[in-house]
Amino acid sequence: MTSPIAGLPTDVVQADLGAGTVAFTIDTATYPLEAVYGASYIFIDRCFVLLDRPADGKIRVSLAPKKGVPDADALRSIVGEFGNELLGCAWRAQITQQNRAVIEALTTQALAGAMGPPSLDELASFDFTEESFEDPLGIATSWEDKYKKKDGKDATATAAPSAATSSQPAESPTGGKGDAA
Amino acid sequence: MIELRLHRDLYRGTAVDEAVKVFARHGTFALSEQPEHWVVRVESKTPARERQLAGELGNYALGLTVKQGGAT
Repeated sequence: MTSPIAGLPTDVVQADLGAGTVAFTIDTATYPLEAVYGASYIFIDRCFVLLDRPADGKIRVSLAPKKGVPDADALRSIVGEFGNELLGCAWRAQITQQNRAVIEALTTQALAGAMGPPSLDELASFDFTEESFEDPLGIATSWEDKYKKKDGKDATATAAPSAATSSQPAESPTGGKGDAA
Repeated sequence: MIELRLHRDLYRGTAVDEAVKVFARHGTFALSEQPEHWVVRVESKTPARERQLAGELGNYALGLTVKQGGAT
């Protein structure tokens, strides 16, 4: 038979003094499942912990002390301690989530630093010829490779237009020929 | 006999199996599945022992689930 516990809301916490158990419902919008797991894990050495999901977004926690038959004060103390632990776990989970990017960056830097700089032998044996990305527009191709002279004939044909162009007077950026003055 | 109902969203199935294996020599267990729960029926010599056995089995399954990062 369930009975209320003084100082705790009756619609959230129900105690069964005959069985020595106390149960309460947690809203997962307030306390995430990770926090419930964390707080429950801390209590499994002194209580029998049973979790259930009576409805979506709700988790029901039942606690029964392993030793002795607890009275109402003992059950109230257990609920209070669990609530405090739950709050701490929820806060730690939130901090971890907020700082996840920083933690990952620092860990990566620490691991990279622990590896040390590459030795000269490692640099000498490194394969720089491996193409690491596709270059369909030829942006990474050098000027010499892109416009190199294939033979003497092509070189003359290529050079002629540039010579003709160079004989023309230079146009100013505004469209006029020669100097504006 | 105590019927322990462990919600599938909160307890990993492999953790429940492992817990039953660990406590198998302390009592008699019958496993079954329901749409939302893993159901374990626990039988032992005395009601007090059954209660303790069911509680410890639930704790063990919960601890394994937490260590493995959750039910899913």
